[in-house]
Amino acid sequence: MPKDNPIDLRQDRRQWLKTSASVLGATLLPMPAVAAETTQTEAAPAAPQTKPVESKAAARFFTPAQHALVDELSETIIPADSHSGGAKAAKVADYIEQFLGESFDDAQKSLWREGLRLIDVMSRHYNGKSFVDASPDDRIAVLTILSDHDQMTDLPEVRFFLELKRLTVRGYYTSKIGIHDELEYKGNRILQEYVGCDDQGAAS
Amino acid sequence: MAESEVNLTRTYDAIVIGSGAAGGMAAHVLTSHGLQVLLLEAGKKLPIEKELRSMEWPYDNPYRGQLPPDQHSLTFNEYTIRNPPYGPGFEKAKHLKSYVGSTDYVKNIVVDERENPFTGTNYAWVRARCLGGKTNIWGRLALRLSDYDFKAKDRDGYGENWPISYADIAPYYDKVDLYLGITGVKENLPYLPDSIFQRPTKLNCAEVTLKESLAKIGRVLTQYRAGVTSDGLKHNKYRSRCYGRGACERKGGCDIHAAFDSPTGLIYPAMDTGNLALRTNAVVREIIVDPQTGKASGVHFIDNQTLRDYAVRAKVVIVAASTLESARLLLLSKSRQHPNGLANSSGHVGHNFCEHIMGPGVAGRAKNLVGKQPTLDDGRPGGFYLTRFRNLAEKHPKFIRGYGFEGGSGSTMFPRGTDTHGFGAAFKEEVRKNQGAFVGMGAFGEVLARYENYVDLDPAVKDKWGIPALRFHYRFGDNEHRMAEDMKETAQEMFEAAGFEITHVSSRVLTEGWSIHELGTARMGSDPKTSVLNQFQQSHDVKNLFVVDGSAFVNASCQNPTWTIMALCWRSCDYLADEFKKGNL
Repeated sequence: MPKDNPIDLRQDRRQWLKTSASVLGATLLPMPAVAAETTQTEAAPAAPQTKPVESKAAARFFTPAQHALVDELSETIIPADSHSGGAKAAKVADYIEQFLGESFDDAQKSLWREGLRLIDVMSRHYNGKSFVDASPDDRIAVLTILSDHDQMTDLPEVRFFLELKRLTVRGYYTSKIGIHDELEYKGNRILQEYVGCDDQGAAS
Repeated sequence: MAESEVNLTRTYDAIVIGSGAAGGMAAHVLTSHGLQVLLLEAGKKLPIEKELRSMEWPYDNPYRGQLPPDQHSLTFNEYTIRNPPYGPGFEKAKHLKSYVGSTDYVKNIVVDERENPFTGTNYAWVRARCLGGKTNIWGRLALRLSDYDFKAKDRDGYGENWPISYADIAPYYDKVDLYLGITGVKENLPYLPDSIFQRPTKLNCAEVTLKESLAKIGRVLTQYRAGVTSDGLKHNKYRSRCYGRGACERKGGCDIHAAFDSPTGLIYPAMDTGNLALRTNAVVREIIVDPQTGKASGVHFIDNQTLRDYAVRAKVVIVAASTLESARLLLLSKSRQHPNGLANSSGHVGHNFCEHIMGPGVAGRAKNLVGKQPTLDDGRPGGFYLTRFRNLAEKHPKFIRGYGFEGGSGSTMFPRGTDTHGFGAAFKEEVRKNQGAFVGMGAFGEVLARYENYVDLDPAVKDKWGIPALRFHYRFGDNEHRMAEDMKETAQEMFEAAGFEITHVSSRVLTEGWSIHELGTARMGSDPKTSVLNQFQQSHDVKNLFVVDGSAFVNASCQNPTWTIMALCWRSCDYLADEFKKGNL
């Protein structure tokens, strides 16, 4: 996708929403069916996604395809680097799934279902591939569009991005990897003496 | 502990209503004088060893330390619309909590807002019903007041002086320091007297930078004076010294009770005297008055769980239910002799309601610390306190009284700075590099005590136990708003002068009540026409009735009230015991 031209999100979304409507056809089904559509087009060897998610155990919120998508989305928000593992290694998608599965907030659940759908629609529009199939750079490009427009909170995909970031941050920095490997948190152990600036050598 | 049987058929020497800082202190002092005391607490006795989980890692908590999904804690925006806790949009939350109840660690300590409604003007009323009340989760900043506060009227002509001066209360501050433990550094400030400090915590490098910068303009930054024992207390087997472990920032209580809480600091030792009986789940609805003498003769309470009604008698009644609940109880206790409520011939009960205004503050980064190895800053009970500097030697043209800043800096278990724009590798690195460089502070300023700021009883709304709810008539005034403007400006200036990179300046005034420092609803004074209590927190009208919590304050000062509540209470209970023994009550 072109990287230098600034994107007009409002302009663009008219186009990709049109495309997505034609892909969806007249089915306009709730998200589980959309996930099924995604699974079919990707020909992923996943189990048929015909049952609504709600009928599964309370903590299950995503279809396997959605879970895989959230895995990649969260990793794009907080990737592994030379310092520590990323959101995938910290199982942030599991955290988000549990959070949403137990939530009583229907608006939030809808936002996630709609958001995951729109992310794939956007990825197909800009990258010609689903988000999961896109290269890391192409994934970053899609989220950059949303991050660059994060004031446009009237748009569901922008609100979704902000929620994705919020829950990824929450899940990652409360995980073992986040606390111990990434931040190297020094607390939660017994100290004989308080540590202060004097004990750390000159700060400046 | 030697917990005495509760006997509701006997007449106790004294009933203490409420088990927080004031009630715990009253129980401690009176039992040590040999009085037979019944302590009543509206909430339950929590299994505190399980409740306070200071060392729990978030990943070992089912909700990563957040509230369970069926609970909701009110946000700033939700406080600004009236009746939200009970209205549409909140149906899905089985339990509604105040803003403080936003973590899994305090969910059983703060009350369910729906069971405890109130009406009138917006107020972020934080209530804890359990043994120890809010002391289980308090912020721990333990400051003394001075004659700049007790005699504030002499300085600027506003309001009333307290009926005591610093010299009267100083010996009792000392007693509280020695009995409960406090950390800090002596500064010799006339407006913020020193305590008898145990070993202090240490300032980290960002704080030292700020301290040195402030010293150049004559302002004082000192180590957080925390109501925490850093050396241990030989006389108290329930509390350990502080081991600087963290996560203190969580403010979910201290599982080794190095931070003061009323149960281990005051109530358990009082039980060990054999003179204290404790009845939890006792929601007091009325103080009973003897129709012959007009004196208090006991209380009616409702069992929190069974809803059964009980009466219990005592020779002296001590109200320590917290500033607003104590006023409510006095107003509820109407009788032929006291038609406006007990101890209310002055009409001042519920009035002169004051507290601290907060919200304005600043956050930033110490640039020289960006990218440095993380340090353990979270094992300290607090960071720093920047003492009052307004209206000391010079008069400020726009407002009277003063404010101080509470601040902190450095690494926390959950990093600051995750509001950084963007995502990806750069975001992650940014959060990591900046985590230890964070520094921030927020102001606490005196809200003037005004007769027009008051609470009364709502004529219609009742709580879960059928007791009339409190109705608020309370707003910050012009002096507070002008002060808040100054707080924001000085905060920013001081961070700029220290060379910090400012990331956020807050000018937003938080909802009334946010400081959880409500005070003044049954003020002390020497004139029974304009005050409710005398200098010993004894009712002018009813000799055997004492109100020993923050409601007795004449003004709010800008210093946090808990240490003063306890020192005053100790002084009053010494007097009470003496009068009791002389047969004067």
